[in-house]
Amino acid sequence: MKKIIYTLSLILVSATAIGQIDRSVMPKPGPSPEINLSEPQQFELNNGLKVMVVENTKLPRVSIQLTIDNPPILEGEKAGVSALTASLLGNGSKNISKDDYNEEVDFLGANINFGSQSAFASGLSKYFPRLIELMADAAINPNFTQEEFDKEKDKLITGLKTQEKDVSSIAQRVKNALAYGTDHPNGEFITEESVNRVSLQDVMTFYRDYFVPANAYLVVIGDIEYDKVKELVTTHFTSWTKASPPSLTFSEPSNVQYTQINFVDMPNAVQSEISVQNLVDLKMKDEDYLHALMANRILGGGAQARLFLNLREDKGYTYGSYSGIGNNKYVPSLFDASASVRNVVTDSSVVEILKEVDKIIKEPVTEEELKDAKAVYVGNFVMALERPQTIARYALNIETEDLPDDFYKTYLERINAVTIEDVQKAAQKYFTSAHSRVVVVGKGSDVIENLEKVSLNGKAVPVKYFNKYAVPTEKPDYNTALPEGVSVQSIIDAYFNAIGGKEEIEKIASLKLVYEGELMGNKVKTEEKRLADKYAQTTYMNDAAMAGVVAKGDELYMKQGGNKVPLPDEMKADMLKTMGIFPEQAFGVAEKAKLIGIEEVEGAKAYKLEVSGETIQASYFYDVESGLKVKEATVINMGGQTQNQETFYKDYKEIDGIKFPGTRVSSFGPQQLESTLLEAVINKEFTEADFE
Amino acid sequence: MKKFWITWTMAILAGLIMVHGQQVDYQEYDLDNGLHVILHQDNTAPVVTTSVMYHVGAKDEDPEKTGFAHFFEHLLFEGTENIERGQWFKIVSSHGGRNNANTTQDRTYYYETFPSNNLELGLWLESERMLHPIINKIGVDTQSEVVQEERRLRYDNAPYGRWREQMFLNLFDKHPYRWQTIGSLEHLASASLDDFKKFNKTYYVPNNAVLVVAGDIDIAATKDLISEYFGPVPRGAEIQRETFIEDPIEETILATYNDPNIQIPALLMGYRTPAQTERDAYVLDMISTYLSDGKSSKLYKKLVDEQKQALQVFAFNGSQEDYGAYIVGALPVGETPLTDLKTAIDEEITKIQNELISERDYQKLQNKFENRFVNSNSSIAGIANSLARYYMLYDDTSLINNQIDIYRSISREEIQAIAQKYLNTNQRVELEYLPETPAQN
Repeated sequence: MKKIIYTLSLILVSATAIGQIDRSVMPKPGPSPEINLSEPQQFELNNGLKVMVVENTKLPRVSIQLTIDNPPILEGEKAGVSALTASLLGNGSKNISKDDYNEEVDFLGANINFGSQSAFASGLSKYFPRLIELMADAAINPNFTQEEFDKEKDKLITGLKTQEKDVSSIAQRVKNALAYGTDHPNGEFITEESVNRVSLQDVMTFYRDYFVPANAYLVVIGDIEYDKVKELVTTHFTSWTKASPPSLTFSEPSNVQYTQINFVDMPNAVQSEISVQNLVDLKMKDEDYLHALMANRILGGGAQARLFLNLREDKGYTYGSYSGIGNNKYVPSLFDASASVRNVVTDSSVVEILKEVDKIIKEPVTEEELKDAKAVYVGNFVMALERPQTIARYALNIETEDLPDDFYKTYLERINAVTIEDVQKAAQKYFTSAHSRVVVVGKGSDVIENLEKVSLNGKAVPVKYFNKYAVPTEKPDYNTALPEGVSVQSIIDAYFNAIGGKEEIEKIASLKLVYEGELMGNKVKTEEKRLADKYAQTTYMNDAAMAGVVAKGDELYMKQGGNKVPLPDEMKADMLKTMGIFPEQAFGVAEKAKLIGIEEVEGAKAYKLEVSGETIQASYFYDVESGLKVKEATVINMGGQTQNQETFYKDYKEIDGIKFPGTRVSSFGPQQLESTLLEAVINKEFTEADFE
Repeated sequence: MKKFWITWTMAILAGLIMVHGQQVDYQEYDLDNGLHVILHQDNTAPVVTTSVMYHVGAKDEDPEKTGFAHFFEHLLFEGTENIERGQWFKIVSSHGGRNNANTTQDRTYYYETFPSNNLELGLWLESERMLHPIINKIGVDTQSEVVQEERRLRYDNAPYGRWREQMFLNLFDKHPYRWQTIGSLEHLASASLDDFKKFNKTYYVPNNAVLVVAGDIDIAATKDLISEYFGPVPRGAEIQRETFIEDPIEETILATYNDPNIQIPALLMGYRTPAQTERDAYVLDMISTYLSDGKSSKLYKKLVDEQKQALQVFAFNGSQEDYGAYIVGALPVGETPLTDLKTAIDEEITKIQNELISERDYQKLQNKFENRFVNSNSSIAGIANSLARYYMLYDDTSLINNQIDIYRSISREEIQAIAQKYLNTNQRVELEYLPETPAQN
């Protein structure tokens, strides 16, 4: 017996010896591996909840995922109700307080998160019974309180505010709104007004209507036993009341009649966001689903794809350019080829993206492109299989997307079977260069002129204009002529008149202003003290002094902790130009300001004055109608780094005969701080210590 | 019959063990050239990781030629006799894989993860790198640029980028842990091509490396491929390593550093701790978690949440092969003096020294470590890294399954005793890490 084994192994050894490797040649991949996908065991509760269990003993952990597969929901004038429902779920339940719930989840070393129609929990499998109990309790018996509701509403509105100047969030919003229309679930968006229309009762109604078991799937994966899962799920989820979501109808979106550019003007944009898009009707169960994915990958699916190689590697227009194609069983999804590009190359980038889309429709891809694309696809698919979430997603997709049972088992085979012709057919069916909507969000004054010259295949591509809420608008006019007689001096005079009169202002010898606001849950207070030749500013966070700036005589320094950090001399010179009770007193007299023209500030026309220095470039905006100062913007250039800051002034209030802005909104990058005036003290005696 | 019964019992026992924790099965052996091989078969997903860990890190460098190990992490992607310069990453991605490398004070690690039908490609890439990498002027020049950029990005221009350098400079006097893996740009610039070739010949040899192949493999076929690809790599000379013994710190070492990239100062306190293989090091791990991991940890709750003195607190036990460093520190809110932070932190440390931590906190710690342990082995790439590390730096591959037992066996009393033994004020470096301009008043 032993001898036979010996002989056998000898044969094996010599067999490998014959096939000796040649290391000068790169090894060829073996046959595509077969996938060992776990088969979920399933059962259903009487209320309609379908449960899938994947026993996986590899690690002693468990994940529980609840998905409610409802059709898209139009939130309409109360857009935001689903977001608020999501943030109010998972804060304890009617049976356990929020604090106790959070502490216990933490103690177990676990996580539980909620969406508006979903939940996810993970942790050690030994705590599975308690984990699923906590999750079920929070899901079925939520404790919606007015206090939490108000808190979450504030957070949501603060979040919306920080996005208002963010070019890429605006682009995202406008893109969907234009593609689907704002009366479609995929096209509507949340605004401060719509959030303000939502009440606690609306959240409860939303929860009651849509957090229901009719289309719900609970997927449990990990080191657990099916029987135990069945027992616990039955115990904890049977009380979930049987119900189906209300059915809704909404408009059917369609592609544009002809390829066109839809432009949104964002004067603060330093880059243009470009998206070449069209609607696609693609479902996972479609025969050519994978063909469409391959076409997209070759066009713009990564750093080896055509868009990237053309716009970044070859032209250097952008850090990256990609395309994506969605799928949806309920409504059309989007194909989208996009890039963020430098202002000056906006028109060229639009042309290059359109050309690439046009080309992949008209010409077959190469053998090598298809081969490499397949390899990347196969690799990503295979390597994702390691994660339990992936396995859960696949089981769920088979169920919800109505896929054949072997959809994922044959996935790699089918990827490898895709031909060049398949790719071209899919490109022709799902991409279009004749009905493309090219959404461009950028700085109009820099880019419009050239955008209007864009053409494709000898045909001009018209430009239509929209505002940042996707409403059609006029082409912006940057040549608004200045009215006769307007000068730096007349603007400053009008401003002084508007706030109380030049004479009154001359009487002010000292001024102290205090503003207070909230930033990420912290109270932020700014205190400014001004004399004609001294300036001190201190910022407090939660009543502790954080930082400050002091300028007096020959000194300019920043205060940080207990330290004084002197600022560079160039900066000092720049600061002196605007030193005074009101900066206008300084730069008005010495004729240091330049009148730039008229620009829009928050939808109203304003005169723009500029004071340029060595390191600081400051702009001041005064409302054409009221004369009041509505905005200040500074750009500080130092040591190769640039820092932008903008402040908006609103709600002027009269104190001792002088009007001061009641509200100040400052932004630093994506951060925004809205402060209200706490105190304005005129002609208070300051001492030396005030400017230390 | 009796034999059958025993087997049956063992199967049941094995099943029970499975319920209690994971079991990473592996095999290990040496090739004739000294290359240690660890194989882990797991066919649940068609993924394979091939990786090589070389027992060379910054601590093996000549004090006059620092930064070599990290430089080699870059240099050994430049190409080999059979792989053209610049092709490495393209080969990996066009086969659906991903790859990377990293360097510490103790070792250098290269790995790639592929769909399992590219196992042979992974072995080819790593054996090419070990057998005949191209080390020439163009590669050295190119990677010098890259490493300079990296130093600027991660150390010189990064806020708090040099705290580790400043701390270790003070914690270590004789041991090479006193310099950082990035090393000195001057040393790198003045090094000759021969210096690099010599370093390669000394350390990047099979008898100083471990090869791990983990994932969807067939053990026998994989062994054959390994001997084909790695068998021909010649053994290197025996490596001579020096031993460095530090004198204990008996008096507080005070240090300050000014970082031009920061606005808020930081207080960092560092204690020199024993080698990571020592039981004491494990206990210190638990103490750092107790103090600062999560929003319910002691220091976070006290300094950040309740007293609002600190923007951030941190404590971690940096484990290494010869010595470790236990670091605790904080960033102040507003004008809170650093000394107040020190006092507040010391109060909590004193508490651990004087009283036992509560039963509930102890259980929470155990839960956290168990969670961490379980999740550390959740990917094939993670398992490969752990296997290599436990073999090379702990000399005990089985820790991949057993390390959690060490944490489990640590008692509340031991936590108290270790805090008393190591965490005393006279045994530490107190580093005030400050903004550029020192206080003028």
